[in-house]
Amino acid sequence: MEKPELIVRLKEIVGSEHVLSSDMDLELYSYDASLDRATPDAVVLPGSTEEVSKVVTLAYKEKIPFIGRGSGTNLTGGTIPIKGGIIIHFSRMNRILEIDIPNRTATVQPGVITLDLQTHVAKLGFIYAPDPASQKVSTLGGNFGENSGGPHCLKYGVTTNHILGAEVVLDDGTVIWTGGKAQNNPGYDLTGLLVGSEGTLVIATKLILKLIRAPEAVKTMLAIYNTIEDGANTVSAIIAEGIIPATLEMMDNKVIQAVEASVHAGYPLDAAAVLIIELDGMPDGMDKKAEKISEICNRHHVREIRLAKTESERAGLWAGRKGAFGAVARLRPSYMCCDGTVPRTRLPEALAKVMEVSKKYDVPIGNVFHAGDGNLHPLIMFDERDEEEKERVLKAGSEILKICADLGGTISGEHGVGIEKLKETRLIFCEQDLEFARQIKKAFDPMDLLNPGKMIPEPETTIKTMEF
Amino acid sequence: MTDLNNRCDELMAIVGPEHIRTGDGDVEQYAVDGMTPKAVVFPKDTQQVSDVVTCANLKSLAVIPFGSGTKMAAGHPPKRLDMVISTARLNRMVDVDTDNLTFTVEAGVKFRDIQARLATEEDRCYLPLEDLETETEAFICSERSHSGCFMPLDPPFATSATIGGILASNSTGPRRLLYGLPRDILTGIRFVTPDGAIVGTGGKTVKNVSGYDFSKLMIGSAGSLGVLCEMTLRLLPLPERMETILVSFDSFKNTSAFVEAILDAQLLPAAVEVMNKRAFEGFKNNKSDFVPGHYAVAVALETYGEAVDRMKLEMLGIAKDFEAEDSIVFSEDGHRLFWHSMGNLQASMADRFPGMITAKLNYQISDWKNIIQFTDDTLSSNLLEYTLLCHAGNGGCTINFLLDGDDTAASERAVSTIGLLLEQTCKANGNLVVQTAPTNLKKDLPLWGKPRFDFPVMERIKNQLDPKGIMSPGCFVGGL
Ligand SMILES: Cc1cc2nc3c(=O)[nH]c(=O)nc-3n(C[C@H](O)[C@H](O)[C@H](O)COP(=O)(O)OP(=O)(O)OC[C@H]3O[C@@H](n4cnc5c(N)ncnc54)[C@H](O)[C@@H]3O)c2cc1C
Repeated sequence: MEKPELIVRLKEIVGSEHVLSSDMDLELYSYDASLDRATPDAVVLPGSTEEVSKVVTLAYKEKIPFIGRGSGTNLTGGTIPIKGGIIIHFSRMNRILEIDIPNRTATVQPGVITLDLQTHVAKLGFIYAPDPASQKVSTLGGNFGENSGGPHCLKYGVTTNHILGAEVVLDDGTVIWTGGKAQNNPGYDLTGLLVGSEGTLVIATKLILKLIRAPEAVKTMLAIYNTIEDGANTVSAIIAEGIIPATLEMMDNKVIQAVEASVHAGYPLDAAAVLIIELDGMPDGMDKKAEKISEICNRHHVREIRLAKTESERAGLWAGRKGAFGAVARLRPSYMCCDGTVPRTRLPEALAKVMEVSKKYDVPIGNVFHAGDGNLHPLIMFDERDEEEKERVLKAGSEILKICADLGGTISGEHGVGIEKLKETRLIFCEQDLEFARQIKKAFDPMDLLNPGKMIPEPETTIKTMEF
Repeated sequence: MTDLNNRCDELMAIVGPEHIRTGDGDVEQYAVDGMTPKAVVFPKDTQQVSDVVTCANLKSLAVIPFGSGTKMAAGHPPKRLDMVISTARLNRMVDVDTDNLTFTVEAGVKFRDIQARLATEEDRCYLPLEDLETETEAFICSERSHSGCFMPLDPPFATSATIGGILASNSTGPRRLLYGLPRDILTGIRFVTPDGAIVGTGGKTVKNVSGYDFSKLMIGSAGSLGVLCEMTLRLLPLPERMETILVSFDSFKNTSAFVEAILDAQLLPAAVEVMNKRAFEGFKNNKSDFVPGHYAVAVALETYGEAVDRMKLEMLGIAKDFEAEDSIVFSEDGHRLFWHSMGNLQASMADRFPGMITAKLNYQISDWKNIIQFTDDTLSSNLLEYTLLCHAGNGGCTINFLLDGDDTAASERAVSTIGLLLEQTCKANGNLVVQTAPTNLKKDLPLWGKPRFDFPVMERIKNQLDPKGIMSPGCFVGGL
């Protein structure tokens, strides 16, 4: 189908004001929060499941690729239309459809902003736990696509642990439900398979999310260290002692400097590292737990521990963490965030090696990350316009992922594979693993229309023929 | 059969002649729904499983994986069966990393052995160790990590079930209220696909989004997509204190009011289990003189001492408000024994009632009262004897129909009431699974409940991964 005809047909489905096709519009949808670029053929903004289904049916008949898009904040090129096609942008499908307190669920459209739902349910005394640092802009559909995590996932688990069911559109436009308000349905756990599938298997049009009672008490502390090893060792020790706080977040000196220059969270500028440790739950026994944590911190030469005494002090401690990515962006025009993850006991080693990489490639690296989960976020700072520097950054990034894989870890804890980590999937998967993934993809999408070219690298043999 | 005979030499070459059984007496105990396999193979590791399945695939031999056999009565009778692959020799604890709070084991390791391995130096364990030792053969490993950790799962058949079987059948217990489902604690898996490939994903990190999450697909796949071989799961430190409050009521009205009140309070019990009198009476080790009333509610408290004390105080107060008949508190050993006996209810009832049917219902949480009342009304008016255990905060309950098998009229009534229960759970957005039933009743029972909207996708997956239909053929949902 020629492009003009495609645009006409799409306009018939969603209304002409909800199809974008000017060069400028398409340019705007040619990038996301990653470093990649590619231009789509058209962008549609559907208003309902039915419209999504019709768009997909059309794409299926015409063999045109299509990609779901939330806010485009994913960091791995997940929404870049590398094979062209239609972007299905969910900005209009942004309603919270139902809050069902007796069943502890929320049903939402995929375009709802994560924080909007969280603010809404907080008023009712509930939480929706997964809290990516991007929660102010990211959508729940995007969180579903990436299986996003956040600081509180240490205790509560990531997005997949909080999605009970989904209404999804299949490759040919058929609409089905997976999972539902009742847990443990017989049959394959399709919801579990689909969360984190980066838009390559289905398009989600409704999500049923789990709500949890807000904890009765919260205790937040900041532990300040003179060396980064002491901070990292504290994290491993807390877990090894069998304490699982709600969060265990770490920032190193470079990030502390950046944060203080932008949000003034009150972190000491000369500290090598700070840890935000938060406990939540029933207040009974919490003091004891906090004491035990202090003891562990002391054993690892903590310089100072600050306890938030009021809600505003708590918000202060968190402001730095939440503003860290933005603050770092002020140091250099671009950064690349590697999100390799290691078993928690290997954290001190992993951090030391990351700093060696920084030296080796002469690139500045700041660390701000979910330490309790072993989920690193080395931010490699650079200037995108400097091709030679960018080259070094990519090499450094790849090497960091290899370090994580070699330590028994993985290449992504929460940002996904997209196109950026396609090559690195081979650090953790053998060809048979990847072939199984291809079979799953084929079962859902035999014509390879859903977000093609993402997540699974081409078979090795193809790569070889391309090289010759 | 001739195909199999031809293949037997090959299988023997793979696993060694002493690890394959073909004699009548040997294979009978591995029969599934009365269908006897022609061979039972005992591979020693994942590679051998892969070789065996590859060999079976070449000749389209039908294969069923087999752990301890505690759940083999679930599902449709197999369409065909050539070979059983036993995981009995896949019994290594590959990596016990209590500092990282993860451990990796092979599929044939028994649940109780894992818990025993994690006990403290003083043998404080999540399960009642002493009781287990007298009940069955010795533990596979006397070695202990002395870490004082546990695997946060409490499936039934805790004495004999293997971890592979537990995950393949997505088997859960009452304490999922606090700790979650197998899908929440499994971080890595290796399995053999129907074409014999060894496939793995995940590992020792608690977060991982580096590809499709196959582990979710394999949990509960009941042998239809491959043989689970190795798994990594999360651990938790043993709770500082473990106690149980058991209270009884004479009316369902008070029972449910009590339950709702404690679930609404900002308390964090590990389990809230409602049971009928018959269930309570079925527990072994039931030595106390507790008066079970019409219904009893057991609440598990597993956390810091201070929090346990507060919950106990508040909950016993609430129980009084709703005119509890009797109440009793078990701690530590008593607590462990109590929940262990509850987990063994199905097994011990099955011994006494050869015609037993077990149905597992799931539904949205808010409907739990309707479901229980409907069950009680329907089953009593049909003059059926039954035990009922309900995970009140989770939307699940398990009903054992206590049938001796000779009373065919009673069995028929049970079958027809199960149809009614299914209708009811479907109205509550749920479903029903028959976990055990005599083979002759299976054709009349909704073994996997009612197919849902997602069935066509399940079919696509099964056909893609197992086009020859060799893995547990016909046994799964919708006859997949
Ligand atoms: C400053 C910053 C901080 C961040 N912090 C975190 C963090 O702490 N934790 C974390 O996990 N991530 C973090 N991220 C990454 C990102 O925000 C998350 O991946 C987020 O979930 C993406 O949401 P989105 O709405 O922007 O999705 P998009 O980027 O638009 O899409 C993400 C993926 O989901 C797919 N998708 C979108 N909608 C649908 C749908 N309806 N159906 C099917 N597939 C769909 C897309 O095709 C794509 O593959 C951060 C990003 C930035 C820029």
